[in-house]
Amino acid sequence: MEQLSFSTILGAWIAAFLTLGIFSYLYRDNPFYKIAEHVFVGVSAAYWAATFYWTQIYPNLFGRLFAVGGPFENIYVIDKGHEFSVLYFFPLLLGIMMLLSVFKQFNWMARWGIAYTVGIAAGLKAFGYLKSNVVEQIKASAVDLFSGSMPFFYNDTTDWYGDTVFNNIVLLVGTISALMYFYFSKEQSGGYGRFTRLGVYFLMISFGASFGFAVMGRISLLIGRFNDLILFSGPSYDYGTFWMLGFIIAVLAYWSFKNPEKQEV
Amino acid sequence: MRTLENIILKLGSVDRRVIFVLIGLAVLVPLLRPVDLAIRPGEDSQKVYDTIEAMPENSNILISFDYGPSTRPEIHPMTLGVMRHLLSQDRGHKIYITCLWPDGLYMAKDALETINEEYDLVKNEDYVLLGFRPGNEAIVKGLESDLRKVFTVDAEQTPIDDIPMMEGINSLNDFQFIFTGSAGYPGTFEWVQYGGDPTGVTLSSGTTSIQVNEVMPYVKNEQLKGILAGMPGAAEYEALIGIRGIATNGMAAQSYGHIVIVLFIILGNLAYFITQRRERKY
Repeated sequence: MEQLSFSTILGAWIAAFLTLGIFSYLYRDNPFYKIAEHVFVGVSAAYWAATFYWTQIYPNLFGRLFAVGGPFENIYVIDKGHEFSVLYFFPLLLGIMMLLSVFKQFNWMARWGIAYTVGIAAGLKAFGYLKSNVVEQIKASAVDLFSGSMPFFYNDTTDWYGDTVFNNIVLLVGTISALMYFYFSKEQSGGYGRFTRLGVYFLMISFGASFGFAVMGRISLLIGRFNDLILFSGPSYDYGTFWMLGFIIAVLAYWSFKNPEKQEV
Repeated sequence: MRTLENIILKLGSVDRRVIFVLIGLAVLVPLLRPVDLAIRPGEDSQKVYDTIEAMPENSNILISFDYGPSTRPEIHPMTLGVMRHLLSQDRGHKIYITCLWPDGLYMAKDALETINEEYDLVKNEDYVLLGFRPGNEAIVKGLESDLRKVFTVDAEQTPIDDIPMMEGINSLNDFQFIFTGSAGYPGTFEWVQYGGDPTGVTLSSGTTSIQVNEVMPYVKNEQLKGILAGMPGAAEYEALIGIRGIATNGMAAQSYGHIVIVLFIILGNLAYFITQRRERKY
């Protein structure tokens, strides 16, 4: 049997405790769930802050301001392979201005930083969306209706395999009817109303597929947690899962006895 | 008939905790006692496989680990599968690893540790771990224009000018194939919009199930060459490369979990309609 280090076993026990703590919410809101939830939020925030500082601000900002050969070489040097660039005082200044939002008399300064960030993001997003989501998708939707270019089913073991015009028609009708549903300048009644109703059905099928995929994703995550719990229940982890499960059940039983669930009237 | 209706009504109004326990058991039991299910690769997984098969020898392949521990069960088998496929071909492909997610770095290290046990890779000769850079889509855009501005050092602070494998790698255009294991933002969408589409470099993706519906238009329009869709996609890829991994083992649990959910959806709906009919009657 593989001998694991103390820190690995301790990590596994903590992981088992936190996983079971989150699962315990299924019973009711309880201290174990709250501990796991708060630890998760705190660790996430701290992890992100530390990672951002050490992977971005320190090497890419300070690494350029205090670069080897720069004017501040005699004060402090950060050698990350960058050359000194005076332009990087600009993001530093904007960053400081954003932090000043905590002081009431200076909080107007934060708007400069936010405006810059929003402007950059909007410019960057507009380019990507227009090309990949608008132009390319319009091109992809504009199929030759009678080309039969889209197979009915992929699976060649069925009789339905082969090129047909069916999917081209579905694509055309689905796209137009769903778009028409969001056109509110004309009353959706009569034949037009029935057509937009068809668009709603297309949208519902799409939402249904999304829901199905969401459920599948959640089950996959559950499988991941169970796999870990099964792993940690082995002798190489000193039966961590069982110990944690026993501990949580015992404490929860006592806690429930002391704090009976209030019945809804 | 009335007895059956009463049973359905009872089952339809069962406490949610009972449903949780049943789903839990349906998922747990097949994991404890593995069941073999036939896995037939779908069109989209097959396309990813064929794209990698068609790569010319000595290709530069960029793999981006854009996920963290929370979505590891779904995405990790995909990135492992793609890496195994690339290396099993023994065609001199070189792997470059980036991460748009901070915890993606640890996923990449974990994957390399697993792969190293099987293929005995040499760091900076077979692969380069470039690591994580924050900036989301701006990073992809930066890689597209000048990779060396985004990455001056690799994940272990080695200057990339000192890594021979980085010679001739200046932007995304120097890669023949990009694969992103993506769990959300930033991920597949950003790689399509700022990486694949502007450069024309072949791009494939492995995504969480929840993203599949939104990503599919890119696949159908060939902006993405295939997709590994959630855990089933990973299992299909494992079937294609002939390696039974954690995704294949999870498929029975996935299927049984779904059966329980579908049964309760049907029961819930039947109970709703029966209640409605009875209310109309009286």
